[in-house]
Formats: sequence, C-alpha cells, structure tokens
Amino acid sequence: MTVITIKRAAAIAGLLGLLFNSTQSWSHHAFGAEFDPNRPLILRGPVTKVEWVNPHAWIHMEHTNEAGEKEQWMVEGGTPNTLLRRGLSRRSLMPGSVIIVDGYQSKDRSNRANGRDVTFEDGSKIFMGSSGTGAPKDGRDASER
Amino acid sequence: MKVLILFAALLCMSCLQAEQLPRTPEGRPDLTGTYDVATLTPLERPKAYGDRLYLSPEQARKMADDVAALKRAGDQISDPTRSAPPAGGDGSPGAAGNVGGYNSFWIDNGDQAASLGGSFRTSIIIDPPNGRRPPMTAQGSRRMAEFFSLFGKNTGAAWWLDRPGPGPYDNMEMRPNGERCLLSFGSTSGPPMLPALYNNMKRIVQTNDTVMIMAEMIHDARVVRLNSKHPPEHIRYWMGDSIGFWEGDTLVVDTRNFRERPALYGADANLHVVEKFTLLADGNLHYQFTVDNPTVWQSSWSGEYPWPASSDKVYEYACHEGNYALGNILRGARLLEQDAQALVADPSG
Repeated sequence: MTVITIKRAAAIAGLLGLLFNSTQSWSHHAFGAEFDPNRPLILRGPVTKVEWVNPHAWIHMEHTNEAGEKEQWMVEGGTPNTLLRRGLSRRSLMPGSVIIVDGYQSKDRSNRANGRDVTFEDGSKIFMGSSGTGAPKDGRDASER
Repeated sequence: MKVLILFAALLCMSCLQAEQLPRTPEGRPDLTGTYDVATLTPLERPKAYGDRLYLSPEQARKMADDVAALKRAGDQISDPTRSAPPAGGDGSPGAAGNVGGYNSFWIDNGDQAASLGGSFRTSIIIDPPNGRRPPMTAQGSRRMAEFFSLFGKNTGAAWWLDRPGPGPYDNMEMRPNGERCLLSFGSTSGPPMLPALYNNMKRIVQTNDTVMIMAEMIHDARVVRLNSKHPPEHIRYWMGDSIGFWEGDTLVVDTRNFRERPALYGADANLHVVEKFTLLADGNLHYQFTVDNPTVWQSSWSGEYPWPASSDKVYEYACHEGNYALGNILRGARLLEQDAQALVADPSG
C-alpha cells in the first residue's frame, strides 16, 4: 500500500489544478472566490449527512476542536453525477464513517470548507476514482483492457 | 483498373454504410440517442505540435497513460497524520485559486484522445491549421482585458477596493453565468458544444420538424427548429436561436441571436455558429462546427470531434438546488470589505 508524501500530494494537487485551468475544463465556480487561503484547516470526525446535490456535493461532519468542543462542518466536493455513473451513491459514504479533511474555510467564515483531500481514517480516499481501485468495473478504465 | 476497382469498393462501402444507418420513417438518419463526448484532446492544440493535426498511435497511448497515471496517483492513500495545508494558500493555479480543488475521483474528462477515422487528434480545432483560435480583434482583446480585471490573486483580502468602478463581488449579477446556474460553463451546451472536466453526456431526441439536443450540464436543452427562420435581431437567447436543415444525411444547425455573454469563452452577441451532425455506421456522431464572431476574432475558426454513442445514463443536473457557493462568495466578500474598512479606520489592527 502506497502512502503519498506531502510533496507528492502537492505535485498532484498542482496537476489537478492544471486540469481545472485547461481551456476546456471550466469548473462551476472559482474556488479562489469562495475559500480563504489564510484559514487552512484539518478536520477529523464522523460523517453526519451527505448532500448529494449539484453543482457540488456537500459532506456534513462533526469535528471536535482542540478545546474538546464539537463543531458541525460542511465540506464541498464535486458533482455527484460523475460518481453515480460509476455505481456510487450517497449511501457509499455512510453517516458515522470517520473522515479526515484538509482544506480552507469559506470566506464567509461559516463552518464550510473545500474538501481538498477527503479520506477515511487510514488515509484511503472516500470515493475511488477509477476501476481497479474499488469502483465497479465498467470498461472505461485502461487497466480493464 | 486497380484504381477503378478500389473506387468501386469504396463506393460500395459508402452505400452499405448509408443503408445501415438507423432512419426515421421520413428517411432521415435517426440521431436519437445518448452520447459521451469526454476526451483528452484539448480544444486548442499545444504549440509543440505546430500544424500537426494527428497524434501518432504512440503519442496517443502516452497521453492516455500519463493521464491514467495522474489519476491513479490522485487515488493513492494520503498520510492520515497530515496537517492543515499551508497558511497563505497552496499556490494552486486557475479556478483552484490558491486553495486547491477537490479529489480526482470527482473528475471524468475521458481516458483517451479524440479519434476520427482511426486517427487520434492533437486538437479539436482544425482551422486555422495551427489548431488554435485566431487572434482577437482590438475590441475582443479590450473586452477580455475587462473580463480578466474581475479576477485578482486570492490573498484572502478585498483587493478590488483599490480599483475604480464596480467590484466583481458587488452583487450576483456581476458573477459569471455558470456560477449563477444560468448557463453552462465550459460551453458544454454551447454552441459550439465542447467537452468539459466532467458530466459530458449529451442526449438527442429527433422528430420530423424538431431536434432537441440536451447537455447534462447544466441541464440545457437546445431546441432546433428544422426548415425555419431566425426571429428578428432584437430577440436574443442565452444559447442563441437554432434552426436546422438536412444536407443529404448531415444535419446542419445555424445559430445566432445570442445575448451578450454566450457560453463560448470570449464570444459576444454577434456570435454565429454553424454545426454539422453526421451519424456514422458505428453509431457515433461526427460533430463539426464553425465559429464566426468578427467583433471578437479576426477570422472564423472551425473544429471537429467524435461524439461516441453511450449506454450510460444522463442524470439531472439541478444546479440551483445546492448552489451554496454563490452565497458563500458574496457573504465572504462583504466580510473581507469590512476587514479592509476596519483596517483603514484603525491601522494598528
């Protein structure tokens, strides 16, 4: 099992950023308009609800802060339609599952953040992106041919 | 003699292909179906390819392998003891503006380059020969400069207060149409209809006098009236007014009467798009388009790419139902402006 390093994760984030930035790859909205680079955070806790909505899915979770207080947070993901086509649904991430999220807080300072990297407790991704990594095989992945 | 035999053979194949096409009771090719237009081929050709329209099989394979490797890397296990990302931002470019985007499993932009007639393409644009949009007019450049002035580096401060005129976050009407869930982003509905980072499904429903082309994102349905006329110039539409006619077995769609900000990046209300949809024997569509917008680009430009038939489902994309982002953006801007005003009132902070 491979664990990616922070440096490698940054490189991947950069490449995905380039995907976001390519001519044909407009995202629904600029994350730079919504999230505050001066408010980085790491959240840990159980999922309480998944809002399976467009243009972006939102994962609700309960985070316990350093003072031991419980806080309710919402984490922004991508479009659920992509995952539906891979056979996943909001039930693929059940309430109670403990997740780790790193991202930045919304500029409106509500308890909302972008899900820059959303994983389970062991670091594995909550939804896997391609066949051979946990998703149903559908013939779309090069590794299936 | 050999040439004649070859020609006759090709003619027979063409006849056979035409005969094999599914047809409506009126004898037109039946385009009704679902298509997945995701492709790794970009709209504009990377400069390194020059005037080369085609990728070699090795180059196409490398492109697919590189993207697959990138996505696999994105799916690798992260450090469960990781800490928060850097204060001040992570340096992400573009729309991920200094705060990053989201995991790669949300992305679905295809797994190989576009292929037409068995040849892989370097770009969707085929004219000009360099595969890139022609230079902009002075008016088009000025308009783009005004557009880009709405974007500043995401420092977490109200940078727009230092500039004259209205700010980009003053009200919702200042925000892009896609962000407001009014119109597709990335020209998925177009026209021209282009691939995007995800949700690349199109659905066509055809009758004798109308063809509906729906883009999953953002649930935009274009209704093409066949053998009709455009309305008077003062009547304008988000996606323009589309009329169509059959040219042999090819559906030609002519669209004009756009509003000021069409889905196509950079275009204005003078946009005129001609599209051609041709059903192939394998069930896929050959999609071609020409963009003519003389107030924006110095010459017209054209492109083509395949629309592979798909058995996947098209899902509803009800954009307004969960668009929390727009509120977050506008409320956030108000708070940053208050911070700036407080700093002016009390520079000691």
